[in-house]
Amino acid sequence: MSVLSDNNKLLATGLRIIAFALFPLLWFLFQAILFREISKAIPRSLLIFLAIAVGSTFIFLLYIGMNKIISYAPKQYQEGLYGAMFVGPAIFLLGLFLFYPAIRTIYLSFRDKYGDFSVGFENYIWAFSNDLMKITIRNQFIWLLGVVSLVILIGLIVAYISDKLQKGEAFFKSVIFMPMAISGVGSSAIFKFIYEYRPPPLTQIGFLNGLRVTGGQDIDGNDCKNNVIENGNKIGYTGEGCTEPIGWLQQRDLTKFKAFENVSEVDTLQSFFSNLPLNTILLMIIMVWMYTGFAMIVFSAAIKAIPSEITEAGRIDGASEARIFLSVVMPYIKSTIVVVATYITVTVLKAYDIVFVTTRGDFETNLLAVKMMDEFSKFLHFGRASTVAILIFISVIPIIVLNALRNREDTKI
Amino acid sequence: MKKSIIGLLLILSMLAVACGNSLEGQEVIYFGAPATDGPDGQAIQATFRDFTEETGIIVTYVGSENFESELLAQIEAGNPPNIALWPQPGTVRAQARAGNIIPLEDVGVDLDEYRSNFSSYLVGLGEVDGVPYGGAQAVNLKSIVWYQPAEFEKRGYAVPETWDEMIALADQIVAEGMTPFCFGMYSNGATGWLATDWMEDIMLRTGNGVDSYDAWVNHEIPFNDPIVKTAATYLSQIMHTDGYVVGGTDAIVSTFFGNAQDPMFERDSNGNPGCFMHRQASFIPGFWPEEAKAGLGTETTFFAFPQMDVVSDTVLGAGDMWAVLVNDEATQAVVDFMLSEDYWTGVAENWSGSSSTRITAHTGFDTSKYWSPVVAQQAEFLKAALQANVFRFDGSDNMPTEVGSGSFWVEMTELATQGPGYIDTALDNIEKSWP
Repeated sequence: MSVLSDNNKLLATGLRIIAFALFPLLWFLFQAILFREISKAIPRSLLIFLAIAVGSTFIFLLYIGMNKIISYAPKQYQEGLYGAMFVGPAIFLLGLFLFYPAIRTIYLSFRDKYGDFSVGFENYIWAFSNDLMKITIRNQFIWLLGVVSLVILIGLIVAYISDKLQKGEAFFKSVIFMPMAISGVGSSAIFKFIYEYRPPPLTQIGFLNGLRVTGGQDIDGNDCKNNVIENGNKIGYTGEGCTEPIGWLQQRDLTKFKAFENVSEVDTLQSFFSNLPLNTILLMIIMVWMYTGFAMIVFSAAIKAIPSEITEAGRIDGASEARIFLSVVMPYIKSTIVVVATYITVTVLKAYDIVFVTTRGDFETNLLAVKMMDEFSKFLHFGRASTVAILIFISVIPIIVLNALRNREDTKI
Repeated sequence: MKKSIIGLLLILSMLAVACGNSLEGQEVIYFGAPATDGPDGQAIQATFRDFTEETGIIVTYVGSENFESELLAQIEAGNPPNIALWPQPGTVRAQARAGNIIPLEDVGVDLDEYRSNFSSYLVGLGEVDGVPYGGAQAVNLKSIVWYQPAEFEKRGYAVPETWDEMIALADQIVAEGMTPFCFGMYSNGATGWLATDWMEDIMLRTGNGVDSYDAWVNHEIPFNDPIVKTAATYLSQIMHTDGYVVGGTDAIVSTFFGNAQDPMFERDSNGNPGCFMHRQASFIPGFWPEEAKAGLGTETTFFAFPQMDVVSDTVLGAGDMWAVLVNDEATQAVVDFMLSEDYWTGVAENWSGSSSTRITAHTGFDTSKYWSPVVAQQAEFLKAALQANVFRFDGSDNMPTEVGSGSFWVEMTELATQGPGYIDTALDNIEKSWP
C-alpha cells in the first residue's frame, strides 16, 4: 500500500512539473516561432490583429486542453493539478521576465562596457570611488532619511489633527491628498516653475525668485520690484542693493544667503548648515509634497480604528493630549507606520521622475535610478549601469527582510 | 462569416506582397533624435513629400528623446529601423565597429561623388578603416556671435574682428554701465556643453590652430596641455571678469541656454538692452521669444567669431549623421535621394512651416533657396569652410562619451562656478577621465 502511494506521489509530482512548465513552454515557443515566421510575410496591421486573435484564443484553448487532460487524472490529484495549471504559466512568465533579467544583470555587472569581457569587481570599485557616484550615493542617503522621516512626521501630524476637526475633515484631507493624484512628472514640472530662474533684467516667473526680488530698496532709494509697471514706468530689480534672483536648483550649499555668507570652518555647526545641499533638499520637498497625502490617509484610517475606550481611559487617568498621542496612539498604529515607511523607502529608492524632469542629475543632485539610466543610455556602459541597478537591488533587501520578519511576528500573535 | 473575412484579409495581404516588385507602398522607417513633432522633426518628414509622391515609397520619420537607448534595444531585438540619424558621428563609428550598420558602398552609393559633394572631412567623420558608413546631412554653425546692429550703431560700437577688439568693446560697455555678454549654459543633463563649444572655438584659433585642435580632439596631446590651458584661460576671461556676463558669474550655470539671449531683447528704463553679444550656434533662433524671431536677420543678426592668435577662416560646427541598418531596395532609393542635391529643398523652402534653421552639408546646394536670408548667409559661410577644408566638427562630440558628454561638461560647469583658480584642476580631472 505504501509503495503504491509513493508511486502515486511520484506520478502526481511528475504531472505537476509537466503542468507547471511544459504547457506554458509549448504555448510560448509555438507562438514565438509562428510569429517570427509570419511577421516577414504579412503587413503590420494584419499582424497586430492576428497577434491579438491568436494570442487570446490560444490561452483559452490552452486552459481548456489542460482542463481536459487533468480530468483524466485520478480524482484525488485533480485538485492539486488544477492549482498547478493556473500557477504554472504565471511562474513560468515570472521566471522569464523577472528572474532571468535579474540574474543577467548580476552577470553583466561583472563585465565590461558592452558585456564582452569579465572585469571582476572593477565596476563595483568604480561605484564607490568615482566622485559623481559618491555624491549620488550620498544623495540617496539624504533622500531616504529626509523623505521617509518627513513624510511620516507630517503625515502623522496632519492625520491626527484632521481627526480632531469638528467639520470639514473630508475637505481638508482631500486637499492634502490631491498631490498624490498628480503624476511625478507633473508635480516636478509644477515645482520647476516655483524654482525657475531667469537672468536679470528679465521678469522672474519663478515663485521663489519673484518673492525674492520684490521688496526692499536699492541704494538710491528706489523700490525693487519684479518688473511691475506702475504709472507707465517699469520697476525692475537690477539696481544696486536689490536682492538678486538665484538659480535655486543650482545651489549646492547655502552660501548665497546672508546668514551663511562668511562662515568660518571653525564654527562646525554653522559650517555644517552652510554646506547643506540646498538643491537636493528642494527636490526632496517635491516628493514629500507628493506622498504626505498618502501617509495621512493611511494613518488616518489607523487612528480611526483605535477604540475610543482606550483613549478615554487615558483621559480619565489624567493623561495630557501629547501623552495620549505618544503612549496610546503611537503604539497602536506602530505596524501601520512600518508599512508606510517601507513603502516610502522603496519609492525613494526607485525615485527617478523628479530628478529627471528638474535637473537630470546635474549640480550634484543625482540619484541612483537616474545614474543607472545615464550609464545605460548616455554612456552606453552596460556593466556600470548593471552595477548601479544591483546597488539599488541590494539596498531594498534589508527592507524586504525586515518586512518578512515583521509579518512572521504578526502571524505568531 | 468571420472566417471569410479573415480569409479575404489574408488573400489581400498576399496580393500586396506579391505586387511588391515595384517599390510602390514600401515602408522605410527613419529613426532619429529630433522629436517627431518638433520643428526639426517636421522639417525632416517634409523633405520626403515629393519623393513619396514620385516613387510611392513611404518614408516615416520617428523621433525620440531616448533615441540611443531605444535604437540599441531595437538592434538587440533584431528589429532595427531602415535608417537611423545619430546626433554624433562618433556613435556612428562605434556602431560600425560593432557591426550593426551597413557600409554606404553596399547600399549603392557612389563614394567619389559623395566625397566631392560633402567634403572629405565630413565623410571622414563617418569612416572606419577608410570605409564610409555614415551619411553626412545637416550641419549647424557654431562660430558666430549674435548681436543687434541697431544697438551697436546707436552707441558707435564697431563689430569686433579680433579677440582683443571684443575685449576692448566689452570693457567699454562695462564702463558705460551695461553688460556685454549673454551667457547661459544650464541644460538639463547636459549642462556645460556651451562652455565646451567656446573652448573648441578658442582652440581652433590659438596654439597651432586646426592642427592642435585635431590633436586635442584625438587625444594626441593631453587635455592639460599648455595650449588647452591657454584656451581655458581665454574662456575664463569672459566668464569671470567682473561685469562681463549677465547676472554675474553665478548666473552662468543657472541660466537655461534657451533663455540666455532673452536679456538682449529686453530694454531697461534707459532703453539699454540687457546684453550686447551672445555666442551661440545657428539653431538658437528656435529658442528666441516670438517677437524676436520676426527680427531674425534685421534686428538681430550675427558676426563671425573674432580672430585670435592663429588667423584663419576656420568654422566650428556640429551636425548629425545617418547610417543604414536594413539594406533593401526601397532603402537604397531613399539613400540615393538623401545624398542628392534636391534633398534639402524641403527644409530650405520651409515646406513644413516649422521654420527649421538646419543647413545642408551638401556643398552643391543652392543657398539662395533658404527661406531666411540669415540661414542663407550661414549656409554660404559653411559652404566656403567645407570647400576650403577648414570646417571642424564639434570636438566634444568626437571625444569618447565619458569625456565628451561626461567629464568635459561637468568640469566646465565647475570651472564656471569656481573661477579661474580651478582651471588646472578641471583640465587634470578631464585628462584623468580619458578612457
